[in-house]
Amino acid sequence: MRNLRQSKLRTSLTVLGVSIGIASLAGMVSLGVGLQDQFVGRFMRAGVFDSITVLSGDTRINVPFGGGRAGRGAGGGRQNAPPVADTPRKPLDDAALQELAALENVATAYPIIRVPLELKFGEHTEFAAAAGVPMSSKGEGGFQKIPHGQFFANEMDPACMLSLEKAKQLNAEDPGSMIGKTLNLTYATALPSAGSPAVPMAMQVQRVSIDCAVVGIVERETGPAPGPNTVAPLMLPLAKTREINTAVQQTQRLVRGRGSEGIYSSIAVKVTRPQHTQDVEERIKKLGYSAFSLNDALEGAKRAFLILDIILGLVGSIALAVASLGIMNTMVMSILERTREIGIMKAIGGSDSDVRRIFLIEAAVIGVIGGIAGLILGWIVGRIINFGANQYILSQGGAAGNLFSIPAWLIGSAIAFSILVSLAAGAYPARRAARLDPIQALRHD
Amino acid sequence: MTLAIETRDLRKHYRMGEVDVRALDGVSLSVDEGEFVALLGTSGSGKSTLLNLIAGLDHASGGSLKIFDEDLAQMSRAQLSVHRQRNVGIIFQSFNLVSSMTATDNVALSMMFAGVPRTEREARAASLLTAVGLGERKVHRPKELSGGEQQRVAIARALANNPRLLLADEPTGNLDSRTSAEIMAILRDLNQREHKTVIMVTHDPTLASRYAHRTVTLLDGAVVSESGS
Repeated sequence: MRNLRQSKLRTSLTVLGVSIGIASLAGMVSLGVGLQDQFVGRFMRAGVFDSITVLSGDTRINVPFGGGRAGRGAGGGRQNAPPVADTPRKPLDDAALQELAALENVATAYPIIRVPLELKFGEHTEFAAAAGVPMSSKGEGGFQKIPHGQFFANEMDPACMLSLEKAKQLNAEDPGSMIGKTLNLTYATALPSAGSPAVPMAMQVQRVSIDCAVVGIVERETGPAPGPNTVAPLMLPLAKTREINTAVQQTQRLVRGRGSEGIYSSIAVKVTRPQHTQDVEERIKKLGYSAFSLNDALEGAKRAFLILDIILGLVGSIALAVASLGIMNTMVMSILERTREIGIMKAIGGSDSDVRRIFLIEAAVIGVIGGIAGLILGWIVGRIINFGANQYILSQGGAAGNLFSIPAWLIGSAIAFSILVSLAAGAYPARRAARLDPIQALRHD
Repeated sequence: MTLAIETRDLRKHYRMGEVDVRALDGVSLSVDEGEFVALLGTSGSGKSTLLNLIAGLDHASGGSLKIFDEDLAQMSRAQLSVHRQRNVGIIFQSFNLVSSMTATDNVALSMMFAGVPRTEREARAASLLTAVGLGERKVHRPKELSGGEQQRVAIARALANNPRLLLADEPTGNLDSRTSAEIMAILRDLNQREHKTVIMVTHDPTLASRYAHRTVTLLDGAVVSESGS
């Protein structure tokens, strides 16, 4: 230790090199961990791991990150495999709804419905798609926290909920004051005109208007595609939405010549516990539907993060590799300077391994100090970047988060790694010192 | 009388470029325990080479060398360093103290290599320094000490592991006459009172005859004469 203190400048520079190396390595890894936490964390909070989205049989599904195993029938096909016609296409109707709801470990099954509406508030008119939210979503997922107002009281109320963004759109200064205000919603339906009901052309479009009171405003979690428990700009109770949907579907008779009443484009299945998601998903597929859950995406995401972590780790390691060269250089210089001293040590009874041990210990000490300093440095830099990044995110209207997280295992392994690298770098110089001939060394100046 | 040192036809040569240098050319010598022997000669006579071999700092090229009946030629590097630890204490012309360490630490250093625990070696270092008259200078660094004081620290260090053999390579070479006398007095004292065998290399015949029991004169790697005093 004393020897290191002797040449403070040289030692400090070496330690600085090591700490920058460790800081960058630790920083990269903690960034990977932090991003993963953020990403997965938001998913978890959005409560999507316990729900499965069921689609009608022949839909192609593109799951983000390519985890897609959705496909028709048992065994599922790959994304681009031709549709297998072994099972008849099963429509998603109320019968399907019952079948799915009856599966083991399923908590609820409900259709995902979006109805097109014209929204009028004061001077403001726009088209909007209202999402149907089941009462079972109360207190779950995106509805766990309701900043203004509350969830629907019951399912047939003429009530609606807005997303915070939507509320800001309608009232920029004080979105909270939208609570209690009335929105006018207009949708189109078709009613048979007087005359022969059998002739499709004898229907005409009717506009129906209802008034809805805003009861709650919910913040939108950035997350996966619309599904159960996620927040849409405009939300109505599911039962009400179904009612409107049935009416709207009448217009399809006019357009297509036939209706698709009672057919849903997708059904959401909520399982009792996230552990069962995989299992239930398989069974739904066996029944002849297409299904996907974000577990598929999660697996893919996990793999992607692993690759990201490895890459970040490699980048960070480069800095550390450079630092280890610095250690080797320091030690070689140190030996050169202390050649005489090594000779003296040998003359008074120091063995070769004594000398080697002394230099290895010096290298290890550099490693320890460098490792600790590096972790502190990395933490500080991470905090600064975090601060800056969050300032930017907040200005863009997003939610702040911790991008860099330093778990306990990272601290331990960073220091251990630092010591390891230092010892490796010091091994050659230490061996050289051990092999010095004492007589020659004593003659050195 | 135990034989401290016994050499037979001891040879040492090495290559310097193209030339084969015969530093020692067959030296046969015996030293009894408790003797004070001076190795006298000019530079290049082989006296320092002989001392280095006795110290175990170098390997002979031929012949035999026994210290307290142990054959040094058979020893590995590791064994030689143990030999240096236990049997030998060396002092040099240029003192060779570690400049970054205090006097106490310098003395304690050789004990550290011998595995002596810290409290014990620090205590012993303190008492050795007091014995050589440096009780007041224990925490000084070499650059804060005079030449004579540094050599005393070196002597204390040489005595640290209680060796039976003391080797001195021109111990007064860098000292003025008064300090030289002080140092030589210490060496004589160690030889007479504590029965340490002393081998001193010098080029000064007066020094040799005044302090040594026997003077061995070397020239070109061989013994040319021995005289007792």
